[in-house]
Amino acid sequence: MKTGRTWWVLIGLLAVEAIVFGTWGRNFGTADNVANMVRHGTEVALLALALLPVVVGGGIDLSLGSMVGLSAVVFGKAWRDGGMPWGGAALIAVATGAGAGCLNGWMVVRLRVPSLIVTLGTYSLFRGMAEALTQGVDAFTAFPASFLWLGEGRWGGVPVQGWILAAATVAAASWMHGMRWGRELRAAGFAPEGARHAGIDVGRRLVWAHGACGLVAGIAGLGYTARLGTAKADAGTGLELAAITAVVLGGASIHGGRGSVGGTWLGIAVIAVMANGLTRLPATMSVAAELTGLMTGLLLLGGMALGPLLRKDGGS
Amino acid sequence: MRRLGREGWVGMALVMLLACVGLWAPAFFEPQPLWTRLASWMPRLVVAAGVAVVMVARHIDISVGSVLGVSGVVGGMVIAAGLPAWAGMAAAVSCGALAGALNGWWVAGLRLPSIVVTLATMVAWREGLRWGRQGVFVNLPDTAVWMGLPMVAGQGLVIAAGLGAVAGLGWWMRNMASGRWVAAMGSNPEAGRLAGIPAGWVTGGTFVVSGSMAGLGAALLLVQSPQVDPASGRLLELEAVAAAVVGGVSIRGGAGRMRGVLAGFLLLACVGPALTYLGVKAYWDKAIHGVVILAAAAMAARAGGKQAT
Repeated sequence: MKTGRTWWVLIGLLAVEAIVFGTWGRNFGTADNVANMVRHGTEVALLALALLPVVVGGGIDLSLGSMVGLSAVVFGKAWRDGGMPWGGAALIAVATGAGAGCLNGWMVVRLRVPSLIVTLGTYSLFRGMAEALTQGVDAFTAFPASFLWLGEGRWGGVPVQGWILAAATVAAASWMHGMRWGRELRAAGFAPEGARHAGIDVGRRLVWAHGACGLVAGIAGLGYTARLGTAKADAGTGLELAAITAVVLGGASIHGGRGSVGGTWLGIAVIAVMANGLTRLPATMSVAAELTGLMTGLLLLGGMALGPLLRKDGGS
Repeated sequence: MRRLGREGWVGMALVMLLACVGLWAPAFFEPQPLWTRLASWMPRLVVAAGVAVVMVARHIDISVGSVLGVSGVVGGMVIAAGLPAWAGMAAAVSCGALAGALNGWWVAGLRLPSIVVTLATMVAWREGLRWGRQGVFVNLPDTAVWMGLPMVAGQGLVIAAGLGAVAGLGWWMRNMASGRWVAAMGSNPEAGRLAGIPAGWVTGGTFVVSGSMAGLGAALLLVQSPQVDPASGRLLELEAVAAAVVGGVSIRGGAGRMRGVLAGFLLLACVGPALTYLGVKAYWDKAIHGVVILAAAAMAARAGGKQAT
């Protein structure tokens, strides 16, 4: 697996960003700003890390954002209308995410429908369930301070999200790179038929990958709710595309079989630093924040055009 | 099941839904709201038809929503600059065709996966437009609305143009060599190439078609209101793919007909308003859409599995 070149390009991009924003940005390199980046980047980062196993296994998940919305609404519903303590409600919300992900995986494996189509259907279904639960207008607010701390507080000087993200990264890296599970998933994505003949239960790997993806989306839904202080049915709209962008920019192949946690992390970092840095430029050279998305799209296209070239040079 | 075909089943479901509505809520069929509703559906229908062509060629185009947004603003600015409505509509279609050609070049020329290419152009066009317009609407002169015709006639023209474009695409794909090549490339790219089909041109061409249809969608939307919303194409891409899938277009390429897309689109579009007329709350709309998509996909997978064994 030659991901080396992609990594160096992304590291180079990060260095360029650091130099540009460090020179001209206001308060770019301060600890507060770094904490800020972590706070705002965590949900997309979590979703990208969750999506990576699915993509490596040869699938895709378009329903990520909808699962975020559904779990946020389930959390609010269980806490306010169900009268549960927020810890219990959070458990139910995360379980909802995991169940939703397993449903995706089950339909992909059992009904043999491509994951793009299954998750396109559940993209509507889960969002629709969130809207039906809130009757389209209801919003949950006034959560207890101990819950909001998850989104706004610090622990040991680091935003709480930073710890969650670190735990998720360690879990993803050990799963994908340290355990047999990850290698089998990679084999399943690279050549499903070959993996089956090698004795790998491809279906079970895919259901697990989708289920884990849903579980993490549930956690991201809680993080989103805690950061903004409200849970609404439209929570997380569009996050799936941001996550796919980060994963692909990080060098994962959309055809499956290739991708790494490190690369995904670099992809996330390049996007998050750019989004933050562009808002910190002084007024004389201010560019609109919308430019972030434009540059992300261009980066993705450029990265892809360079990708085959880089891999060829990297020796195959 | 095979005798009826995928499109036939979707058509039957649509007829049954409409029959139920006709029995219990005939108000749904009152001519004026129905006419208006049909006209307002046309932009999304032509976009879905364009995406279906790309899917038949075993690719996907998820940039159509953003392309529709850009084309609409370009066309609107042409009209706002004082040119007649038809010039603005032509500008919108050309703009869409250009954007589609760019996608096609990335996919066919550089052999990059279409989902990633069109994801990138989707983000780039959408955010570029947001940057350029800052969400400001384009104001059109009153003469541009319905091309200066009375409303009912203008709506009729929009409906005729939309249905005509879809019928034309369907005829092209069934009766012309270049149209048949699309399905041939989708069902087996390697065999198609060996049979002498200009593979790159066909693949790239399908993206020009979907871009042009997105531009046409923008043009048909343009004439319906005195303002152009730069965000009007948001989330349209997934709706378009869904309509194609429900209408029997295979995501694996090679299969799909325009009448199926029409039936699939109408089923998804009608189910919401129809159920509202039958007393189901509107906020169930999306969840029902999801169930319809999953049911259609599961049925297609079952039929495909049976044929294989």
